[in-house]
Amino acid sequence: MIRAGSRTAAAKGVPFSASPVLAVKLPVWRSRLVLFVLFSAFAALAGRALYLQGISTEFLQKQGESRYARTIELPATRGKIMDRNGHVLASSMPVKAIWAIPDDVLQAPADKLRELARLLDMDERDLRKKLDSDRNFVYLKRQVEQDIADKIVKLGIPGIQTRKEYKRFYPEGEVMAHVVGFTNVEDAGQEGMELAFQKSLAGVTGSRRVIKDRLGRIVEDIESVREPHDGKDLTLSIDSKIQYIAFTQLKEAIERYRAKAGGVVVLDARTGEILALANLPTYNPNNRAVLTGAQLRNRVLTDTFEPGSTMKPFPVAWALETKRVVPATTYQTAPGRMTIGSATIGDAHAHGLLTVSQIIQKSSNIGTAKIALQMPPQEMWELFTTVGFGQQPKLGFPGAVAGRVRPHKSWRPIEQATMSYGHGISVSLIQLARAYTIFARDGELIPLSFQKLDQAPAGQQVISAQTARQMRAMLETVVSPEGTAPKAQVPGYRVGGKTATAHKLAGGRYVNQYVSSFVGLAPMSDPRVIIAVMVDEPIGAHYGGEVAAPVFAAVAANVLRAMNVPPDSSVTDIIIPKDAVQESL
Amino acid sequence: MSGRINLVLTAALVLCALSLVNAQYQARRLFIELERAQAAAKQLDIEWAQLQLDQSTLGKHARIEANARRDLKMMPVTPARTQYLTVGER
Repeated sequence: MIRAGSRTAAAKGVPFSASPVLAVKLPVWRSRLVLFVLFSAFAALAGRALYLQGISTEFLQKQGESRYARTIELPATRGKIMDRNGHVLASSMPVKAIWAIPDDVLQAPADKLRELARLLDMDERDLRKKLDSDRNFVYLKRQVEQDIADKIVKLGIPGIQTRKEYKRFYPEGEVMAHVVGFTNVEDAGQEGMELAFQKSLAGVTGSRRVIKDRLGRIVEDIESVREPHDGKDLTLSIDSKIQYIAFTQLKEAIERYRAKAGGVVVLDARTGEILALANLPTYNPNNRAVLTGAQLRNRVLTDTFEPGSTMKPFPVAWALETKRVVPATTYQTAPGRMTIGSATIGDAHAHGLLTVSQIIQKSSNIGTAKIALQMPPQEMWELFTTVGFGQQPKLGFPGAVAGRVRPHKSWRPIEQATMSYGHGISVSLIQLARAYTIFARDGELIPLSFQKLDQAPAGQQVISAQTARQMRAMLETVVSPEGTAPKAQVPGYRVGGKTATAHKLAGGRYVNQYVSSFVGLAPMSDPRVIIAVMVDEPIGAHYGGEVAAPVFAAVAANVLRAMNVPPDSSVTDIIIPKDAVQESL
Repeated sequence: MSGRINLVLTAALVLCALSLVNAQYQARRLFIELERAQAAAKQLDIEWAQLQLDQSTLGKHARIEANARRDLKMMPVTPARTQYLTVGER
């Protein structure tokens, strides 16, 4: 009854203070306990918040970021190498490296593995051998072209991954191999200009931190981007057309005379730019599976040889310069032998009384020696050193050699005599070609360049313009029917140069193997190019006028046409005598 | 009076919040577009390099000469067969 009564009382709105519940006396500790529990719960929450926000923030933020932020590598491309006309000689293309986690891949079905081996152009057994490894990272093949890599990814074999990398392509191949050089799989220069300009050609890889959304799209940059810097393009002084001409003509000569090796260099006489530099034997930089040292050797720059008669114009020019002789001064070269001290030097044929001009034309050793012996060794040494013999060429090309000119204090008269016609000293073909700039440029020697120049560099006057002109007139007589190199004549153009045929040294003795060379200028009225040709160990013929001079003529004819040089001679029919003058060895 | 101010401010707040969401969305959309354009630029760069390479390969002097000699039966000119003209001369 009471219960029912109280319910009616509450429903009827009995005042709160009169509520019977209040009359119940509970122990005080119960409310305290509730209060305490509530507060400790709050304290726990506050403590947790403090721990998350204050103490472990860094760790948590890192964890969070790693779930949405990614660092992306921004690859930089290696600079292109181009010739002077913008023709690409070397260019990097993106390719893929295929790598594998062996344990995962080996679980793939056999037919898929067979297909993979086929795509990789590998034997299936070799592939399995590669995969049979404890490591968990194995390169299957590097530098795989994009479309093949796509097909491999399509196979969907677990554990097969790709990585982006670059492959270098050389469209000109073997023709340009020695100048351009090549890079290794890591895209670092190994030879030639690729090595010389590694620093500026190689790019700097950049990176960026980004946020990716659930679909893998980049939505935001978190940090400032480290921009990648692509490598700088390199424009060479080489003209690929001239290079091709030089290469094919040299190749023809080497095949005809079954020679061991050879080199050609073509210089622009006005700027000192190297227009072409060809070597044989050569290699294909796109496929370097089998490479020998002989193929890699850049003979023009890294091989020295005893030049022989191509040296003769230098002492003769100096004698003219110092007024010791004039072009018409005569020397007796009969009977074709001359004894200096205990040694005897000789000419191939006794020529009799020769003018200075004819000494060059007929390439008389005795005449040159007689002229050279009129001057002190120091003067000759200084001349050789000034024009660059025995000096490291400042080309920035890896492996370029200095050659050898002994100090003048140790020269005996016989040595001075033999050096005047190019024996007992060693030079490289490029040094020889550069030294001839003093004849081509009215006495001025200029530095050479592998890079395209906007303007000619400053030169150094070595001999007077008048001497240079007199020497040019002499060099022109060399290619006349009475000279040693009538086969160097070029229809329509006046050309000139000097032949050389030198015995090779083997074990300190001269042997019956030869180096035939020719250094020439064209056109003579206003020289535009200097062409130096060297053929090593020709068989069947060995005179410079026979082996190297025709290469010069063919290269000069094509190069002058390619450079649009107007002809300076109306002679278009060439007379080549049956028995040309044989030069002295 | 204060009820009305509250109402206006609430409306303004909601609008601001919505525009922020919209701005963020637009920014991301534009960013993705930029990304796509940059990727396309990169791709075009590669294509350009490839084409340059092809041009060099196809324009190789060895190839041109072989084609000219073999297919077109051409011969190199010689000064003997060339008429030279000088500008300004009659």
